[in-house]
Amino acid sequence: MNDSFAFLFFRRMRMPLIVLISAYAIATIGFTLMPGVDDQGNPWRMSIFQAFYVVSYTGTTIGFGEVPYDFSPAQRMWTMVSIYLTVIAWLFSIGTIISLLQDPSFRLHRQRARFRRGVAAINQPFYLVCGLGDTGRLLVRALSDRGHPVVVIDNDEDKIDALSVETHHSLVVATCTDARLPANLAEAGLRSRWCIGVLAVTGEDLTNLKIAVTAKLLNQRCQARARADEREVADNMRSFDTDQVVNPVEEYIQRVRLAFERPAAFRLYHWLQCGPDARLPDIRQPPRGHWILCGFGRLGRAAHALLIELGLQVTVIEEDPMLEGLPQGTVQGRGTQAETLTAAGVEGAVGILATTRDDVDNLSILITARALNPDLFVGVLENGLSSHALFRAAGPDFIGQPSSVTAGRMLASMSAALVEPFIAQIIKAEESTCSALIERLEQLNDGQPPEFLSFLVSERRAPAVARLLEQGSDITLGALINDPERGERRWPLEVLLLRRNNQDVLLPDAQTRLALGDRLLLAGQRGIGRRLASVLENEDTLVRALTGQDMHNGWLWTRLLRLASMGLHLRMFR
Amino acid sequence: MNMSKVVFGFFVLLALTLNFGFFLGEIDNPDHHNVYELFAALVVGLIATVMKLGERSQMSAMLLASSLVVDLHLIAAALVWAIAVHVTDIGLTPAVMATIVSLSGGALLANLLSVVLLTMDTAGFSR
Repeated sequence: MNDSFAFLFFRRMRMPLIVLISAYAIATIGFTLMPGVDDQGNPWRMSIFQAFYVVSYTGTTIGFGEVPYDFSPAQRMWTMVSIYLTVIAWLFSIGTIISLLQDPSFRLHRQRARFRRGVAAINQPFYLVCGLGDTGRLLVRALSDRGHPVVVIDNDEDKIDALSVETHHSLVVATCTDARLPANLAEAGLRSRWCIGVLAVTGEDLTNLKIAVTAKLLNQRCQARARADEREVADNMRSFDTDQVVNPVEEYIQRVRLAFERPAAFRLYHWLQCGPDARLPDIRQPPRGHWILCGFGRLGRAAHALLIELGLQVTVIEEDPMLEGLPQGTVQGRGTQAETLTAAGVEGAVGILATTRDDVDNLSILITARALNPDLFVGVLENGLSSHALFRAAGPDFIGQPSSVTAGRMLASMSAALVEPFIAQIIKAEESTCSALIERLEQLNDGQPPEFLSFLVSERRAPAVARLLEQGSDITLGALINDPERGERRWPLEVLLLRRNNQDVLLPDAQTRLALGDRLLLAGQRGIGRRLASVLENEDTLVRALTGQDMHNGWLWTRLLRLASMGLHLRMFR
Repeated sequence: MNMSKVVFGFFVLLALTLNFGFFLGEIDNPDHHNVYELFAALVVGLIATVMKLGERSQMSAMLLASSLVVDLHLIAAALVWAIAVHVTDIGLTPAVMATIVSLSGGALLANLLSVVLLTMDTAGFSR
């Protein structure tokens, strides 16, 4: 399979090569048969060696002239014959090679061969991203920024081409292929031992489902994360232990619920899970009262259920009156028209959610509704990221972006092991805790989400810490982060979560003593992970960090200290 | 009857017969071995090699391998000939001739294997 394109090449080149060999053979034999005259005037005929020499330089149009002696008329005649013969044979061969190189099936073979080589050459943990829509592009960019190689497959050639001209921070290998076929996923490195995650973010649920199944069956060690728009598909994925299933609708509803009930938690939740460039959302709390919901699709239904559950009065505007489950009092029409909005009572309403499938419609609803009632709280759904500039300019109170929400959620959970439990803790935490957290985290990275890192206090992961703990030293969390001498913060770092004996502690106290087996989640400035790693692994650095004093543990230094304390003693030569 | 199979068999067999014709005779006597026959054996051998290219079955892989061996032997023989006569002026001494003919003898074995394999393939196919 691997060298199929070489086979294809030779199979196509068979005829030209035979023609070429025959032409050379005929021309060579002909030269040896032509009577000639040497410089003494004696009759002379070329040997096969001389004839082949002449044909070689004639056929390739180099043309050294007539060697070793001037040709006789018969030899010149044969030279003409052999020139045309060999030149035509060469043209035929080269023409075949060129047409072969342009042949679509041959090009496809070559591209695939190059892709396979590219995947096989990856020798560090990489992610396999299936689907290059808005979500896929965000994921590829963020993952390559984190330094992971990324393998991308999509069935749209144009998207792959567009990706190949972008610059990335790490290797990005992409090919145009059908992700539904397991063979193609295997070709994209699914079975490689370096494949640490498969992200199924195509636009179709069933494709994502198939990718998740394939990933789970073919490579148990890699994590499968998938997007599912339908709840049934999401449940199906969860049923076979897909590591993460993101349903943009559920995610949107979760965020709207948080925005209504717990603004601080919403800000934190949304900020941490909207991709690496997210800004802390400035949002006023959605008011309670009469709400208008435009569009009763998948998201509209879920939003309707949520608003009802929150005890709000809701009027639905929907174009299609035949939809199942439309609530009583639905206004038929498009939310883009002022009459429809007025009929739905926009003047007395406090908020409107535009959730149609068309971005232009949603924008239009936003603008029309604002014109009718400037105090309205407006939430819009932004289906595709292509018109993001328009949405920002329109300035709604809340934008729902399925793609960046999906990507952000996957990225957050991939960034460190304990992020998921941390997010779960945030949802349960007090509002004041969330506000305090926001304040502390915001400073770390100039308003951008902090980098997460988690580590386990163990012999392997944090050898220096483990050794000090075994020697009986006390290491508090605060000591890891703060400078004991100056009493100030050493690093832009926060301890977010401590997991001990399967108990999660949100924002553990600075006086907490570390123990073997603890798992910690920290957040810090970008690039802090590497600096922290040096402390956790190097005893010398750790002791200096904890006490502010050097630990002289070099062999020679230890010996010298011992000498100094004991006087000149022969112990040195023991 | 498949014409391409005829052509294929023709070249494989012709490579063997030409090779055998060249090989026949006293091993160190230049008069018994015609240079044109060696040339023809080499050219036919090359064509047979090209015809075997691009096949994927196990049998054709073996055929291709034996053909490559033939080419290697005959090219070596032709080189020895050209060097002895044209490059170094040693001429076709019995020692040189013996080298050339024994090289072509090696090629003969490989050619024989090609024909045997081809016959086996054909016999197996007809059953």
